[in-house]
Amino acid sequence: MTGLDALPPGASVRGRADGFTDYLVGPAARRRMLTDRFIEAFEAWGYGFMVTPLIEPLDTIAAGVGGARQSGLFRFMDSDGALLALVGERTVSVARVVATQLHEGPFPLRLCYAGSVLRNQTLNAGRRRESLQAGCELVGASGLAADAECIALAAAALERGGVEHIQVDVGHADFIPGLLESAGLDAPAREEVLAALARRDLVAVESALEGTDAADAERRLLLAFPTLRGGREILDTAAGGLRGERAHRALQELAQLWDLLDAHAITDRVHLDLGAVRDWDYYTGPTFEVFSVDSGFALGSGGRYDTLLSRFGVACPATGFVLHVDRCHDSIVRRAGTLDAPVAVQVSWHADAHARALELARGLRGRGVACACDLVAGGDGDVLVSVTGARWASRGHHEHGTIEAAVAALAERVA
Amino acid sequence: MSGLRIALPGGTLFESACNLLQAAGVARLDPVWFDRELSIREGDDVYVKVRPTDVPTYVEMGGCECGIVGKDVLWESNRECYELADLGFGQCRLVLAAPRDSALAHGVWPQALRVATKYPVSAQRFFAARSLNVVLIRLHGSVELAPLTGLADCVLDISATGRTLLANNLVEIAEAGRSSARLIANHAALKTRNEAVGAIAVALRRAASERLTAGAA
Repeated sequence: MTGLDALPPGASVRGRADGFTDYLVGPAARRRMLTDRFIEAFEAWGYGFMVTPLIEPLDTIAAGVGGARQSGLFRFMDSDGALLALVGERTVSVARVVATQLHEGPFPLRLCYAGSVLRNQTLNAGRRRESLQAGCELVGASGLAADAECIALAAAALERGGVEHIQVDVGHADFIPGLLESAGLDAPAREEVLAALARRDLVAVESALEGTDAADAERRLLLAFPTLRGGREILDTAAGGLRGERAHRALQELAQLWDLLDAHAITDRVHLDLGAVRDWDYYTGPTFEVFSVDSGFALGSGGRYDTLLSRFGVACPATGFVLHVDRCHDSIVRRAGTLDAPVAVQVSWHADAHARALELARGLRGRGVACACDLVAGGDGDVLVSVTGARWASRGHHEHGTIEAAVAALAERVA
Repeated sequence: MSGLRIALPGGTLFESACNLLQAAGVARLDPVWFDRELSIREGDDVYVKVRPTDVPTYVEMGGCECGIVGKDVLWESNRECYELADLGFGQCRLVLAAPRDSALAHGVWPQALRVATKYPVSAQRFFAARSLNVVLIRLHGSVELAPLTGLADCVLDISATGRTLLANNLVEIAEAGRSSARLIANHAALKTRNEAVGAIAVALRRAASERLTAGAA
């Protein structure tokens, strides 16, 4: 037997399950640095870093998210038979922590986190099953200023991480449902249209509306989806002829939010998107997604979820967002091409110069220069410092007189 | 800003897709060009010819910003794409069909039903709503042979004209769905390339409805 015939059936690729990734030295470091930049930005805006578990009881997750999201989780049984799951997102975990341990405030609470999330995707679909998310939750603030802060912070964090050409699409969870109410559709027809929108099937939206006597203004708006996008001016266009109070209130909130985003000086990167399709039972107010032309997927998303905490027994408004670190990393790599490997300084030594080589390495590390010292003698000089990727080497203290002088000169040169 | 990458389905929909793109004034594409190359640049845009079942994959993963594909393929794929427009061509139906002389053909549903199909996802959804003891048998072609050989009691398959069913002595029991070609788009591309994607959607939609009106006249 040769080739495929000789292999055991169903063997995973080099012992690794599909949809999971090994990050080798360069990419792993860049991914960690990207996460660090995000967290730095969050902390710079006053968000405190916290950690939640990778595993939650299924009951906890079920209290927070709908059936469709639960079915995509890795689930297993605890030793007492209780059902557990690997978390598919972390907002519900933060909500649980706030409701059980931080419910006395002081509000608003500004919390941030970073960690793996897991989704049990179809095999060989090219999708990640484990991915890294970094996010913020602003709990106990009901005003639009809180939503504006989250949007501005998401943009600031992405920029700090080096993600270029981002675009934020801001919508409102109440607009489309409100539109459907004022269109005079009965509950089953509304459900049908919302379900089609959630599937992103605009052909089905159209045919669902065909069979109804939806009012003209609303029908026109629903069929204009997904072109209900633009700056502040589209709010006036949309408001014309619209009667429903709920949809009008959503438009008013978006107008106020736009002015707040203008005060944050980020409206050049913002589009209002009235046709934004999101998880309808989770969000209760403004929602947003962040895109870049370098990625076919949203790099981040968020919104207001005022009812989630009440499912854990604490009525409290909240808004927040999450950034998809791996997609951000992909988009940076796609733009920049292969990124340079980090500079590594190598100290080699000859004969009895080991101690001097170690002293030099200590000195360099003390000045923040990463360096590795050879384990065995091998250099052709007393102490030799070489830098991968750069075409120079230095003969240590022979060139500079003393070790300290060599350290100072080398540190400057490497920087 | 570079143009769009658009995935076209090889197979029965391919010529009609090229024709509609031409009628809509979006691109002049001669289907025979793709005999030599699978990727063709037309103006700023790039058109690639892929297997129909791969179109949603290209579009979801961002390999292409848009694609044209039959709804029957979308039923089977678990890819997340925006379905922007019904392009009207490539109409067919997904039907449950059984041999003319079977009890099923006379409205008697057996306790247990063996169904041969190329559409397991659609079949699962179709039968989930019915309390039947169904065994699905996934095949990759010529499904109509399954009842003839005793492999299955009936088939759930695509029928455009009904001729294949007739030729194999099969009669339609129920309709599971109606399919036609759709324009689909990548989620992020719909936002970041909104104008370009929107322009194609509008042009194709107009050409499709003009064709429909011309056909009806």
